[in-house]
Amino acid sequence: MTTLQLSNINKYFGTGSSRVHVLRDINFTAKKGELNLVIGPSGSGKSTFLTIAGGLQTPSTGEVELEGQSVKSMSNKQRDAMRLNKIGFVLQAYNLIPYLTVKEQFQLVKKVKKEHNLTNLSLEVLLKRLDIEDLQNKYPGELSGGQNQRVAIARALYTRPDIVLADEPTAALDSERVVEVGKILQTLAREQNTAVIVVTHDLRLVEFADNVYQIMDGQMTLNNNMKLA
Amino acid sequence: MFLSFKEIKKEKVRYGLIIGMIVLICYLIFILTSLAMGLAQQNTDAIDSWNVKSIVLDKDSNTSMAQSLITKDEVKKTNVTSDKAYIGQAAVVTKKSGRTNESAQFLGLKSNQFVAKNLTLTSGHKVEKANQVVVDDKFETDGYKLGDKIKFNSLDKEYKIVGFTKNAKLNIAPVIYGNISEWQNLKNINGQFVASAIVSKKANFKTDNKQLKTYSKSAFISKLPGYSAQNSTFTFMIAFLMIISLIVIAVFLYILTIQKIQNYAVLRAQGIPAKTLVGATISQSITLVVSGLLIGIILTAITALVMPAAVPMSFNIPILSEVGIGLVLTGLLGSLIPIRIILHVDPVSVIGG
Repeated sequence: MTTLQLSNINKYFGTGSSRVHVLRDINFTAKKGELNLVIGPSGSGKSTFLTIAGGLQTPSTGEVELEGQSVKSMSNKQRDAMRLNKIGFVLQAYNLIPYLTVKEQFQLVKKVKKEHNLTNLSLEVLLKRLDIEDLQNKYPGELSGGQNQRVAIARALYTRPDIVLADEPTAALDSERVVEVGKILQTLAREQNTAVIVVTHDLRLVEFADNVYQIMDGQMTLNNNMKLA
Repeated sequence: MFLSFKEIKKEKVRYGLIIGMIVLICYLIFILTSLAMGLAQQNTDAIDSWNVKSIVLDKDSNTSMAQSLITKDEVKKTNVTSDKAYIGQAAVVTKKSGRTNESAQFLGLKSNQFVAKNLTLTSGHKVEKANQVVVDDKFETDGYKLGDKIKFNSLDKEYKIVGFTKNAKLNIAPVIYGNISEWQNLKNINGQFVASAIVSKKANFKTDNKQLKTYSKSAFISKLPGYSAQNSTFTFMIAFLMIISLIVIAVFLYILTIQKIQNYAVLRAQGIPAKTLVGATISQSITLVVSGLLIGIILTAITALVMPAAVPMSFNIPILSEVGIGLVLTGLLGSLIPIRIILHVDPVSVIGG
């Protein structure tokens, strides 16, 4: 079942002679239950792709549809609501609010989105699975990089999103933690029936992906052969 | 509220220092306001106690009661009814061996007119004879007692203190109420001068004589020597402190917001509405100012208890409340710049792109 559809996306920055064509005719589909990896070097356009997929930026041309609804036609308020209700973001840094404990990170979300979040019991199960159930009264500053990233993943899943968008979730993690995060994202995609899209330049995540896309100079190609390499 | 309280709870030292700064500003503003009101009150205490609305002076006296002399001829056609009274003013220095000399204002009254009749005493009795005086309680604070005999300037005549009265100060100096005939003696003027001024309970009191001019109470007070200059100085000091507090609060909130901009960008990316973040900033600003204000009020109250009576301070709750509300509004104003920053946070900035 298609959850996110990007059709003929182009994105330009600047005008005239300084105009840069960042994304070129991108066509991309994400389905529930699948982990999609978008791999590319720095400056290839993968972050721009992620922000357009998440409704944070509008494409210069093309269409983004979330569960069949055009993002272009939404007001800013509707886009805020869409991101809150349907998308979970896992970012590279500044993921967690430093002055809130792990437990309070979820409370903050609950204060804004009062319904259709994970139940307390489901959250406990999730935290246990992520091995962070004992960290609920700790502040982000008291956690390791891996623990912070796992809390960020839990927070992204707390609102029961249809899509999880992750930006370099394994940056600054050691190999052991990369494997751990890869497994978590893969399992969550399948068990929570969520479409997970990860943009990264970390090839160690390839083995966990259902689909691997390569992005280079703004052009995206499906390259599932990378999984066999 | 949630975000602001949690942040203050986590960053106790940082926010403690900010609140400390606001406490000092509030305390300074309260003390200065009280001092300004205390001094202003000591200029006008006696006038306020008469409950008059207008005052008639010689038109060439430059609105100064001390410089004004009203002759019998000038008031010939004026009917001094029960709501009007003569007052004769003379600056004197009181002397009594073993006591400090006091610079004071002698105010001569007619015992059958309303100012003398309405005089409220804290002890003793009203003036009944020419050599008797009722004095401000500053004399009592300085060791004078009922029955003490005092002299004025280099004159030999003695006057007996028969009563003490509260809040009887004119131009900061304590007032001595006596008989108007003694004012004539002190001024060394003959019987053709009846008083320095005629005060009235009516605002529209006018005399027929062209040499006399009627002033409203506020116009008369504003012309008291040094009164307006002193009040303006305090008003400017308090206004500048308000502006300084506005800048301090705005700068602190600006710095704090800039430090949190990446977190706010993440929250915006996650769909947290800008109004939630704006609400957090406003409630944080109010929490900081109100906390500072409350501690400032407590410190001011403690200061009021230990302040010596010689320091002219007046703790007027309604006016201090207005100052407090002004400070809270200042805090709200100070949060406007950070709010503008929050409204323009770009969630893309934390993802790149």
